[in-house]
Amino acid sequence: MVLIKTQRDTLLAPLQSVSGIVEKRHTLPILSNVLLEKKGENLTLLATDIEIQITTSTSGAAGDGDGAVTVGARKLQDILRSLPDSAEVSLILEEKRLQVRAGKSRFSLQTLPADDFPRMTVTENDLKKFTVTQKQFRQLLAQTQYSMAAQDVRYYLNGLLLLVDGSELRAVATDGHRLAYASMPLEAELPRQELILPRKTVLELNRLLADNDEPLSIEMSPNQIRFQFGHIVLVSKLIDGKFPDYERVIPATLKNIVSLNRAALLQSMVRAAILTNEKFRGVRLVLSDGSLKIMAANAEQEEALEEIEVDYHGDTLDVGFNVGYLLDVLNNTSVENIEWGFNDANSSALLTVPGNDRFKYVVMPMRI
Amino acid sequence: MPPSAPRRIAHLDMDAFFASVELLQYPELRGQPVVVGGRGTPPPERRPDGSLACARLRDYVGRGVVTTSTYEARALGVFSAMGIMKSAQLAPDAVLLPANFDAYRHYSRLFKAAVAGIAPHIEDRGIDEIYIDLGEVPGETRAIAQAIKDAVRAATGLSCSIAVAPNKLLAKIGSDLEKPDGLTVLGIDDVATRIWPLPARKINGIGPKANDKLARLGIRTIGELAGAAPEFLVAHFGRSSGEWLWRVARGIDERPVETSSEPRSVSRETTFERDLHARQDKAQLTEIFTWLCLRVADDLTRKGYASRTIGIKLRFDDFQTVTRDLTLPAPTADGAAIRRAAGECLRRVPLERRIRLLGVRAGALCPLQEVAAETAMRQQELRFDEPA
Repeated sequence: MVLIKTQRDTLLAPLQSVSGIVEKRHTLPILSNVLLEKKGENLTLLATDIEIQITTSTSGAAGDGDGAVTVGARKLQDILRSLPDSAEVSLILEEKRLQVRAGKSRFSLQTLPADDFPRMTVTENDLKKFTVTQKQFRQLLAQTQYSMAAQDVRYYLNGLLLLVDGSELRAVATDGHRLAYASMPLEAELPRQELILPRKTVLELNRLLADNDEPLSIEMSPNQIRFQFGHIVLVSKLIDGKFPDYERVIPATLKNIVSLNRAALLQSMVRAAILTNEKFRGVRLVLSDGSLKIMAANAEQEEALEEIEVDYHGDTLDVGFNVGYLLDVLNNTSVENIEWGFNDANSSALLTVPGNDRFKYVVMPMRI
Repeated sequence: MPPSAPRRIAHLDMDAFFASVELLQYPELRGQPVVVGGRGTPPPERRPDGSLACARLRDYVGRGVVTTSTYEARALGVFSAMGIMKSAQLAPDAVLLPANFDAYRHYSRLFKAAVAGIAPHIEDRGIDEIYIDLGEVPGETRAIAQAIKDAVRAATGLSCSIAVAPNKLLAKIGSDLEKPDGLTVLGIDDVATRIWPLPARKINGIGPKANDKLARLGIRTIGELAGAAPEFLVAHFGRSSGEWLWRVARGIDERPVETSSEPRSVSRETTFERDLHARQDKAQLTEIFTWLCLRVADDLTRKGYASRTIGIKLRFDDFQTVTRDLTLPAPTADGAAIRRAAGECLRRVPLERRIRLLGVRAGALCPLQEVAAETAMRQQELRFDEPA
């Protein structure tokens, strides 16, 4: 039976939307598969790793009838991607096999029954719902997600805190060494609720959200979150844990503040970073009257020195930082100037954007 | 090593070590069956008349096991690792003393130092036994062995059993042949007469499981093992174990005496007096768990190591044992960091059954000095726990 007959891209685009979360290796073989479900003209694709589930649909899929099957997501994607752009593709459902045909190419793929495909039960009650634009939310993630921990034993740091409070939405990420905070206004007025999005969910959203003003609807329950945008529905479990109190580490008072040109600072840091110790990546910053020196040295005693003129007339500061943490914030903000506030060489630095209190970046120094 | 010059390896084993150390403190108990063991055993009390009030085996309630027993208690059938309540049926009037590990460590250091004064080439095998390479020590074998025994007695007041043989395998078997206060010298020619009649399990490395398997194959003594064809042993035990069995039955062992033993891991574990439930006994479990982690941290610091891999071990009431471990981004000897990692491991174990034993292990060790050098350039942590 010809399940689907359509243009390559009609199939490939939705497949790429869902296949990002498919794990390469999993104890459950069916999780390497994508579920294809056809009803009339409508084709639904679904992938899951048990923690996250992404569904998308496309219309205009011709074929002989309705049917559902699961097939290896990556193999199908690789096949479609390597076919010519304009190819017309048929998916033919045979007994226990799915045949992919395009021009003179034939592929016969093994399948697993659609009924066996695990689906997340989606909570429908006790949902708190609000809508933002895709672009707004994507920016909120982009400003913070690079500070998430990756494989920390403090599992609640391997994710991003999302906090709704009144008419404000905040995102916070930290790996224990630095912390990024961003907020945005909401049109709705909601009771305070906080939750931790798993790292993988954050990275996937960042990949899937568009840079436009189309709506993104977010529905939160105590242990699940659902994002709907475009044709995509992404459901994710949440990290069950207590995120640290981020307000405690944002310095309330600062002795000195210096304004720096972001691009100039970034370029100097990139150069100095070449000669940092590969393991620790420490740079030494010496701030004195009118000048900021950036120094680096590696294990082979090779040295780098960068100097930037600054409008600064306060105390001299000699402090070490992991250059990676500074590059992260400089790369992920797109402003002209950045303000660096500090107290001393042993306490955290606060990086902010002048005239914008919706973004804060706190970073602890290194002892060098 | 040319065949004309066999090695001279000694194995020294302190006699009923823990019990003997206790008898140094309570000499009036000498000649009586005495058992050391059982957590929570009260220490003996001096009555006003100077006599000693001790706990007896029959008074004991709990799941503790015998750590050591005196030879008098062994004569009644009470041996190490036996449940104390079970041993009470055999020797209800035997004296029960709590273990005092600080004292045992103290005497352990004393006897090892005494041996090192005569023969410095020592492999430490634990608190009460060592291997000694006598290769460089001048003199006749039996005289050296006697001198070592005398030095141990002079330093500690304790007796030991020692055997000298061409290798560690035979020395270890030999030190058990004339216990207590034994002195045995074995040559390779003695294997047939003195080693072959012994049960197979006397070989260090043949445990209860291998012994049962050998018995099922009709092999009970070392001699019978030596009579088995190598192909037969390989067929039943696999290549490496089969060949090893064939060699050891002939008294062949080439292992050197290893003087500097870098520890591979540091661990602490405890069997509970009663099985604990993950929820109902949460407070108690948490407390013991933290205590184990702190002890491991303490052991690491004292020995000068940091660990990169923290693991836990649980044994449930059905004796099923599970382990979990976690590799840290940087080595640590810090109690809080070990507790955090061990807690992470524990989260990965389904806790449906009652828990009988809990253990914490620190592996992948590296010397603390190296770690200190690495962390000289240290990233500081955000201080979430301090008031803003």
